[in-house]
Amino acid sequence: MSLLDRRDFFQILTTGGAGLATGACGRPGEQLIPLLVSDREIVSGEEQWHPAACGGCPAGCGVIARLMEGERVIERDQEKLRQRIACIKKLEGNPLDPVSGGRLCALGQAQLQGLYNPDRLAGPLRRTGPKGRAELAPMSWEEALLVAAEKLTRARQKDPASILFVTAAGPGSRAMTIARFLQALGAPPAASFEIADFPLERRAAELVLGWSAAPVYDLAEARYVLGVGADFLGGWLSPVYYARQYGHFRQGRPGIRGRVVQAESRFSLTAASADEWLPLQPGTEVWLLAALGRLLLEGRSQALPPPVAAVFQGVDVDRAAQACGVDANRLRRVAQELGASEAPLVIAGASAVHTNSLDALVAAGYLNLLLGSVGRPGGVLAPAVEPPAMRPAFTNFLERLERAQFVFLDGANPAYTLPASSGIHEKLAKVETLVSFSPYVDDSAAYADLVLPDHHPLEGAAALLPAVAAAPSVLVATPFVEPLHDTRATEQVLAELAKQVAAPFQPVTPRAAAQAVVPPDQPWEEITRRGGWWADPSPPSPPGRRPPLPPRAAAFEVSRPLFAGSEAEYPLHFQPYLSLQYLDGRGANLPWMQELPDPASSAMWGLPVEIDTKTAARLGIRTGDLVRVVSPHGSLEAPAYVHPAAMPGVLSMAIGEGHRHYGRYASGRGANPIRILAPVWEKSTGALVLGATRVRLERLGPRAGLIQFSPNDREHGPWAHR
Amino acid sequence: MEHRWAMAIDLDRCTGCEACVAACHAENNLPLSTPAEAAKGRAAHWIRVDRYWEGEFPDVKLKYMPVLCQHCDDAPCEPVCPVYATYHNPEGLNVQVYNRCVGTRYCGNNCPYSVRFFNWFEPRWEAPLDLQLNPDVAVRMGGVMEKCTFCIQRIQRVKRDAKEEGRRPQDGEVQPACAQSCPAEAITFGDLNDPESRVSRQASAGRARRLLEELGTKPKVFYLQRVTQALPAK
Repeated sequence: MSLLDRRDFFQILTTGGAGLATGACGRPGEQLIPLLVSDREIVSGEEQWHPAACGGCPAGCGVIARLMEGERVIERDQEKLRQRIACIKKLEGNPLDPVSGGRLCALGQAQLQGLYNPDRLAGPLRRTGPKGRAELAPMSWEEALLVAAEKLTRARQKDPASILFVTAAGPGSRAMTIARFLQALGAPPAASFEIADFPLERRAAELVLGWSAAPVYDLAEARYVLGVGADFLGGWLSPVYYARQYGHFRQGRPGIRGRVVQAESRFSLTAASADEWLPLQPGTEVWLLAALGRLLLEGRSQALPPPVAAVFQGVDVDRAAQACGVDANRLRRVAQELGASEAPLVIAGASAVHTNSLDALVAAGYLNLLLGSVGRPGGVLAPAVEPPAMRPAFTNFLERLERAQFVFLDGANPAYTLPASSGIHEKLAKVETLVSFSPYVDDSAAYADLVLPDHHPLEGAAALLPAVAAAPSVLVATPFVEPLHDTRATEQVLAELAKQVAAPFQPVTPRAAAQAVVPPDQPWEEITRRGGWWADPSPPSPPGRRPPLPPRAAAFEVSRPLFAGSEAEYPLHFQPYLSLQYLDGRGANLPWMQELPDPASSAMWGLPVEIDTKTAARLGIRTGDLVRVVSPHGSLEAPAYVHPAAMPGVLSMAIGEGHRHYGRYASGRGANPIRILAPVWEKSTGALVLGATRVRLERLGPRAGLIQFSPNDREHGPWAHR
Repeated sequence: MEHRWAMAIDLDRCTGCEACVAACHAENNLPLSTPAEAAKGRAAHWIRVDRYWEGEFPDVKLKYMPVLCQHCDDAPCEPVCPVYATYHNPEGLNVQVYNRCVGTRYCGNNCPYSVRFFNWFEPRWEAPLDLQLNPDVAVRMGGVMEKCTFCIQRIQRVKRDAKEEGRRPQDGEVQPACAQSCPAEAITFGDLNDPESRVSRQASAGRARRLLEELGTKPKVFYLQRVTQALPAK
């Protein structure tokens, strides 16, 4: 297929006012150009700025990309030729986008190294060796589509329910296209099962307040914030959005500095920034919240449905404080401070999911209601209404995988993000036909019969909804660089497949998807020029007014979390967490992220197991030693980092390393903490419970190749180096 | 001196997220390390986020502090260079002339902030990673020292554009890559010669301190101290 055909497919729209952009991005709203720049049209030394969507995580940050001339060497007729192309030099946040506001995180910056990754696939591949070994050989698109169509026809004839589509796509045009494709085939809806998707936060908001999306926390205007289990500055819903809000919360209001108390069983980025950290025993968030609810109930109970007030009423504060491992007087002080604050806010999340996390999030919703924080400035704001059918259903697909005959994988890497004990590797190996759309050979594509590489998100067209939005908004990306390799947009591949299997199907264009959100009078050209459309946030209700919807009476109980493994044999808790550098592992093939020092351990090119000082002393472990973490379901070996702020008895490890297959920078490096987890699923959403596995620790030897940028913690005493 | 460029970093806003570190790599063509080189301490970050631990569990604190070249007015790196590769430019920037550097590393040895990096090898980007390289910034050859330039290429561009338009650069118009990316808006850059500039006001604010000020290096990076308040915000 020629490039022109590809361009036709995207239905690229032109704007009358587009011209060459000059200067830096001081006035980017006027300079953004949504046009595709042909390699023949790029002018030496000139820069252009184009709007785009960051695909680094599900937050959905709008970015702007700096486009300039570049040169690459290609081989044609056994001759090496230099080719001038238009290439992206830098990404910045799109200042027009209320999520990024012109800012961008480290992982977002590094998306360029995904685009120009040396391990990106140059075209389709077919499997030549055993499944899981990543023995793959190139083939043509025509041949690949024929093979895929033939197998899809067979699966469809036998049983359309045996077709399984697993996608990591967030709400937007990709998810809508997949839904329509599966409908055309008569197959069941797609499954989404990402660790970084946070389904529990959405579920709790629905249960308590009837909201269909994650609540929006107006951190910027809050005065006193209690974070519970949500690492909102690091691995949570929208790190750039909340970090921007945090800056304002601390020093953006003359004479007002917000205070943060963070309750979490790991010393996260948020805990490090907080004024006070309450180390919680793993999985006791609901106890803390229930005790606070009990203490704040006096005189406020009319804010809650009576059955909920009764649950809080029945809590024994001292017993709850003991379960959390927090001093009861300290807890009473926090309750008093929350109650006395003009704008208190509880931000609860499940950065580390426990079996009882939903109860905690529901309790937090009611606590915000008790405090009168719902629907007022500096409180919890209602999320924008999400149009139906835009988001793929969060589903634990493992049962369906066993029966599946034909599996599509779009952006998902279940061979990495699910524990080995779930049988994911055996199940993937048993699937008759596995088609991956991954632009790289990752852990799951290694099992694929066919890899039909998608464009990189920076080359593609999309409309998608941000994870956190108080007002209706949609991010729109139109292609502005020609694809670097012989890749095809997955939407296009699905259209071609549907045609070959005679299923009536048309992909959902970004424009059609955006229409579900954007009012009809908004010109599309302007939306593509700005990189999206964002409604003015409706003014939140004035203080004191009741929230627009009466709260629902959702059942929650103050229960203990469940853990796999006996305490006698496996004395330690184990908490894998989303890392700053790699999120759920997807950033590990980006060399800038590999050499980004870990914020706590300063580790580069590998991630250590974080061990508390007492456990380390008991086992004679020092930073840099090689240790083995043994769970009832497997073991891993990694270097140790003796973490000054780790809770005694709780091991933590960032997710990201330990890929079997993920290109030269990630393959075979370090260990994947998810791999050794027990197959425990949260009961209401089916989400993987990251914190439900007990482990034991063994010291193996003195040296394990821990690479640190700043090997020694620079100050051990008080901060008095000046 | 027409301008006197300086930076203020508000540690009360900084979350330690290291967006600045990645943005600096993207803007300034920093050499990619390998695990073997990084293990020998040869990875380069023109800006890093230092971490300072205080106290013991459970009353433990971690304070983050982004550290980059402090562009000292009395820079210890400058007088020791035998070939004048590192010098003070008229706008107060501590500048490194790569093709003059002979690699004695005296400057790195004399810098109290450990912000200078030596290119032990020719830098290498596996194709097509090289397509990302910023054409506004020279790729440094093996054998020379390098360090933060305050994104001098961005300063020059703003000055050029302002000159073409017959005006002075406006406050906030020059944004080094680190400042531009910072989600918490902790980094401010500007001209100390303009008393009304945001950086001038921050530099004279009560929370402003300079790193290792007692050495007399007169750094031009001002750190606004993190607030440790005893009383909660109402």
